[in-house]
Amino acid sequence: MKRVMLTLIVAVLLASCSSLPAQEKITFMVFGDLAELEAYRKLVAAFEAGHPEARVELTHIPDQADYRKRLAADFAAGSPADVVLLNYRRIGPYAAKGALQPLGPYLEESGVTSVEDFYPEAIEPFKWQGQVLCIPQNLSSLVVYYNKDLFNQAGLPYPEDDWTWENFLAAAQRLTRDLDGDIRPDQHGLGFEVSLARFAPFIWQNGGEVVNNTFAPVRLALDRPQSLDAISWLIALQTKHHAVPDAEQEAAEDSESRFLNGRLAMYLNSRRGVPTYRQITAFDWDIAPLPRKVRTASLVHADAYCMPASVKNKDLVWKFIEFANSVEGQTIVAASGRIVPSLKSVAESPAFLDPQQKPLNSRVFLEMIPHLRALPSTAGWVDAEELATAELQRAFYGQAGIEEAVQSAILLAQPYLGDAYAP
Amino acid sequence: MGSRWDYQRKSALLLLPYLIGAFFLVGLPLILSLAVSFFTYDGLSAPTWVGLANFREIAFDPLFRVALVNSLTFIYLAVPLRLLAALGLALLLSRPRPGTGLYRALVFLPTVVPEIAYALLWLWILNPLYGPLNQILRLLGLAAPAWLVNPETALPALVMMSLFTIGEGFVILLAALKSIPTEVYDAAWVDGSGRWQAFTHITLPLLKPWLVLLIFRDVIFTFQTTFTPAYIMTGGGPYFATLFLPMLVFEEAFDRLRFGVGSVMMLCMILFTLGLLVLLFAIFQEWGYEEV
Repeated sequence: MKRVMLTLIVAVLLASCSSLPAQEKITFMVFGDLAELEAYRKLVAAFEAGHPEARVELTHIPDQADYRKRLAADFAAGSPADVVLLNYRRIGPYAAKGALQPLGPYLEESGVTSVEDFYPEAIEPFKWQGQVLCIPQNLSSLVVYYNKDLFNQAGLPYPEDDWTWENFLAAAQRLTRDLDGDIRPDQHGLGFEVSLARFAPFIWQNGGEVVNNTFAPVRLALDRPQSLDAISWLIALQTKHHAVPDAEQEAAEDSESRFLNGRLAMYLNSRRGVPTYRQITAFDWDIAPLPRKVRTASLVHADAYCMPASVKNKDLVWKFIEFANSVEGQTIVAASGRIVPSLKSVAESPAFLDPQQKPLNSRVFLEMIPHLRALPSTAGWVDAEELATAELQRAFYGQAGIEEAVQSAILLAQPYLGDAYAP
Repeated sequence: MGSRWDYQRKSALLLLPYLIGAFFLVGLPLILSLAVSFFTYDGLSAPTWVGLANFREIAFDPLFRVALVNSLTFIYLAVPLRLLAALGLALLLSRPRPGTGLYRALVFLPTVVPEIAYALLWLWILNPLYGPLNQILRLLGLAAPAWLVNPETALPALVMMSLFTIGEGFVILLAALKSIPTEVYDAAWVDGSGRWQAFTHITLPLLKPWLVLLIFRDVIFTFQTTFTPAYIMTGGGPYFATLFLPMLVFEEAFDRLRFGVGSVMMLCMILFTLGLLVLLFAIFQEWGYEEV
């Protein structure tokens, strides 16, 4: 009897084993704040519901700089996640070494989405030697987030869509106020992260250039008269007009925090700030496009899902990327407010243009698309950009002359530009 | 003879787990990463032999020079000051008086705070406008520097911050002071020596081995501990004023994917540490731990 029981138990166990679907694991690594993480969790849950054969393991690293370092270490160890999120300015080193699986051929054969469904401005930055390398998830641009209450208090009209540098400067000056009578402003008109990426759109608006050639940069073009003019104009906002917090004030409390606390009227950021700003209850806010000078321009901010070349179960991993970039997938992520969807149909749907959700003016992101420009994505670009940023910061806070800083930036960035550079 | 052999065999056996761990977790990775110095390696494709090219590259790298000078400046300022602070406090708190236990605990306390928490705490203390340090300085009518914002004060601010994590040196010197027999002081007292003479002729010479040991330890330690404060508090800025070698090595390897160049920098760091230790040995003529 015992033996029969035992046999039965073994038989039942065996049967249950074979009837379990063999689940394959997909690892998925992302960066971003908690609201974004929530969106990715929903995305993963929706995918798993439709694909019982797959189990997605989500790794979340909040800070983008930490994320990049983790990714580099993972690639070096030969075990990157199966799906990684990458900004187009960071794909260069990986693409140059063939560490990423080109996803263009997969997209061509996809029955779910085709390349025409995406904004070409989103696809373009992720092309490497003519081939689509990664599938863009979003297509953001730099815009002006403004505190409506502070505009009302100052009796200023809200920014118009076609406002100019002169309007922008006037507003920034009017909104800068010394509240406690110590000559130093306590409320600032404007704030932004001081970096080459933030300077770039203003340089373009003035007819200048950041590099001599975006696709094959050989030299920074920051010393061209139009570029230099734009840089000087931006720096004067701090050094001359004091409309932007100075180095000490920025270190004491950064501009974004000042904006969140209602003491900074206009803050420049991409779409990424929205989930956080939606939690503001103390004042009303909206967005406006960047002002224009001789032309309208903004910098494209785009992240994409990439697949490392070392991935084993490529077909299944592609299914996940395909789902994440389907109408359903992008709608889930768009609901967090974080992304400007790269799929035209989702971007123009209420998932993005929801009139119940701030910013009310979200269409600005779509209207800016034709005016978007990209920075290079070559292998040495990350270094060139970091070194130039350090020089611009010095000039911005009055610790160095503008010409001197620009010359120094060009000199320091030089080894990382041109064909000769190999990491 | 037999028992001596037995003793050695037993010690070797007891040391074995440590030696195995040290070899696989420290020795082997060290050798491998030093080998990487002669290759271009980005972690993505196979390493390529480049001979001494990486060495030539860092010789002309302005950031490497800045980081090296910053690291050496930091050691030059922090090591003597940390030693003085530990010695001063140990002398002050060596004799049991009411409350001594509490004061000793307070001196040791910052050393227990985890590095990252300690860095974040100081980020707040050094906040140029809202930090308690500058609030106090302003109340006293003194100049309130911008600390981490100003390239001239950023490195000294980090040195200042390192002066409060001296718990270990403090405890070692307390123990050392205790080990000096009181009879020696009594004899000196009888011979008519003053306090200062007793300090310079008895206390200091008897403490010397301990002080030398602490200096050696601190030089090695200080070369490396600049990483956390620089990474968390300043990111190497403003304008590279707090860019130290460990941070540059980390960025070179994991941000710029140049493991070869990073390895060369690390090799230089080890050589500079060794050089400093040899220099100190030439000065002190001892390592500080020989048993007499």
